Amino acid sequence: MGKKNSSKSNPVWNFITSVKLAVFLLLTLAVTSIIGTVIPQGEPLQRYLEHYGPAFFKVIKALHLYDTYNSWWFLTLLGLFALNLIACTIRRIPFTIKLWKRDSLALDLDRLMRFRLKKQWKVAGKPNPHILEKIKDVFQKEAGSVTAQKELESGQIFMVERGKWSYWGLYGLHASILIVLVGAVIGSLTGFKGNLMLPEGEAADHVLDRKSGQPQPLGFSIRCDKFTVSFYDTGAPKEFRSDVTILENGKEILKTPLRVNAPLTYKGITFYQASYQPMPEAQIRLISPDGKETRVTLPAFQKVPVPDLRLVLGLYQYLPDVHGVPAVRVWIEDGSSPARTIWVLKGNAKEFSSGSNTYRVSLVDVRNKYMTGLQVKKDPGVWIVWLGFFLMIAGFVVVFWVPHRRIYLWVGEQGGKAAVVLAGQSNKNKIHFEKDFEKVAEAIEKSLEE
Amino acid sequence: MTSSYLLSWTTFVYLGAAALYLIHWVFRVQKVGLLATLTTAAGLLLQTAGIIMRWVESYKLGYGHAPLSNLYESLVFFSWLTIVVYLIIEWKIKQRVIGAFATPFASLAMAYASFSPRVEDTIQPLIPALQSNWLIAHVITCFLGYASFAVACGLGIMYLIRPQAGSSGVMAVLPEHRVLDDLMHQTIIFGFLWLTIGIITGAVWANQAWGTYWSWDPKETWSLITWFVYATALHARFIRGWKGKKIAILSIVGFVSVMFTYFGVNFLLSGLHSYGSG
Repeated sequence: MGKKNSSKSNPVWNFITSVKLAVFLLLTLAVTSIIGTVIPQGEPLQRYLEHYGPAFFKVIKALHLYDTYNSWWFLTLLGLFALNLIACTIRRIPFTIKLWKRDSLALDLDRLMRFRLKKQWKVAGKPNPHILEKIKDVFQKEAGSVTAQKELESGQIFMVERGKWSYWGLYGLHASILIVLVGAVIGSLTGFKGNLMLPEGEAADHVLDRKSGQPQPLGFSIRCDKFTVSFYDTGAPKEFRSDVTILENGKEILKTPLRVNAPLTYKGITFYQASYQPMPEAQIRLISPDGKETRVTLPAFQKVPVPDLRLVLGLYQYLPDVHGVPAVRVWIEDGSSPARTIWVLKGNAKEFSSGSNTYRVSLVDVRNKYMTGLQVKKDPGVWIVWLGFFLMIAGFVVVFWVPHRRIYLWVGEQGGKAAVVLAGQSNKNKIHFEKDFEKVAEAIEKSLEE
Repeated sequence: MTSSYLLSWTTFVYLGAAALYLIHWVFRVQKVGLLATLTTAAGLLLQTAGIIMRWVESYKLGYGHAPLSNLYESLVFFSWLTIVVYLIIEWKIKQRVIGAFATPFASLAMAYASFSPRVEDTIQPLIPALQSNWLIAHVITCFLGYASFAVACGLGIMYLIRPQAGSSGVMAVLPEHRVLDDLMHQTIIFGFLWLTIGIITGAVWANQAWGTYWSWDPKETWSLITWFVYATALHARFIRGWKGKKIAILSIVGFVSVMFTYFGVNFLLSGLHSYGSG
């Protein structure tokens, strides 16, 4: 007894279990969530300084407003929310046990007569076992099997009780939210998320973790064989598709296309089509002063040394259509003069000089290669989140639409005559219950007329 | 005749219905009430035909997708669902006064969809991110929530403008406070369930398309904010016994949040859900 009192008067416990705190946390989470939708998230810090000025930048930096939903204070709010949810739910358990254990049959005729929903009939003659059986049969046929019955001083009472367990639905619903949170925490602790840019024909056996920037080994390799993008007549993209191969120890295990909305999961790691980048590859021809021809292939994002001519070349820019022909901007470095660039259109050779030599450069062809952008994810917690979602919907339906309903039938003697009383109660969806109750009443009335 | 032409006409049919409901309410003419219901039903038929036609047209263009893929189509669907939810309530409680509050929402949504230069009404093909069976499940569940909250907001407004029982005048014809309160509560519960399922289907879909079930994208965050508001309203009622006026105000606040989730995010904030704005 003493222990109970102390827990009841414990101010910390009272605060944590208070509904005031629950409402405060729900509304605070709602209001603070707005911040991250107004201030762009995850930009480089410099941008915030430029955009918001030094004064507000200090606030943004101190409160982690550039990554609001992972900031210490937002996670604290979420943690408090979870704690309050657990505490409020635990505090409610004794109340639910009381409701659940309450004997629905602990009533007498007087109490039954005070029900809002009730019907009564007088029957000619003394009550006899035959009538009793008949009415009970009709009652069971319409209302369902009798779950409990007892003798009262003046007669017998039968009860059909349904859905008493629905008082526990609330716990399923609240638990589901915690399960989702647990799944999210497990996912972020044991999984990873990364990006992978994979040029056609190349393979990777690790990705860079988005959070830590550390390489994350996959345990196998993934190769992009081909990337294709197709468009509608309107110019809107129709399909992004990467044909990939999974390799283990150099052996091809699996070949499959990867599309948006159709990811690939292999050994718990999922690959999503996320983006792409064109990677043109230009072929150029150089003619030296002595008439010697040199062909050079220039892939994107790479410097190509041409030792014979003592040049380093690169593909600086590519335009697929300049006056109907492709054009490339070639980057030239010869060690003596500063690096420069020249535009070369297909079918239109250009000259440039390096030292005392003058070269003619022309564009042979440009091959359009691609680099596919994949999102890579491992999330062992996702199934726990799905379980939470399922439980949430189920809990919802139970809490709001599964009623605890009771229908009582009393058959006995009143003033020397046989009498029947029907009464009922439901804690939810009362209109529907009334209709069901009417049906039972009608059936009993009909059987009494016979 | 194109579907968007047909659909633009429903704006006026619902506007007419709204006027009839208003006349029925103010002058208490029973026959006008019946006419209002028939007009609304006719509008619904017209709109349903328009939606089916648009679906067929998209197949003829070679795109072939349910008309639930951009702002125009979502507005049409929102308006359609609002009318469906309203007609069910009218049929259940056998009162027509609520019509004067529900049909304007539907007419306004259609007017905005059909006549605003900001809303593109041509049928567009589905971009890769939207090519999924989750599209239909996600949009329908979310909009069932939105439409229910629209009706709950209408009920909240009615609750606030209705005078105490026993008074007379135009406002006194509105359903009793007790009835409005109960309806409001039921509609909020219904909307809350669908919003929850809408968020869940969105999360499952996002996990399939983007590799993450929750990325704090503005649309996601605002739907969660809306969810918090209605969760607060339900808990305040269950535990603190809040009723009537307070719940009516929360119902209106909640709907403002719904509207921001629907439009504000598209026009004022940027994020992954950008296709909803075109």
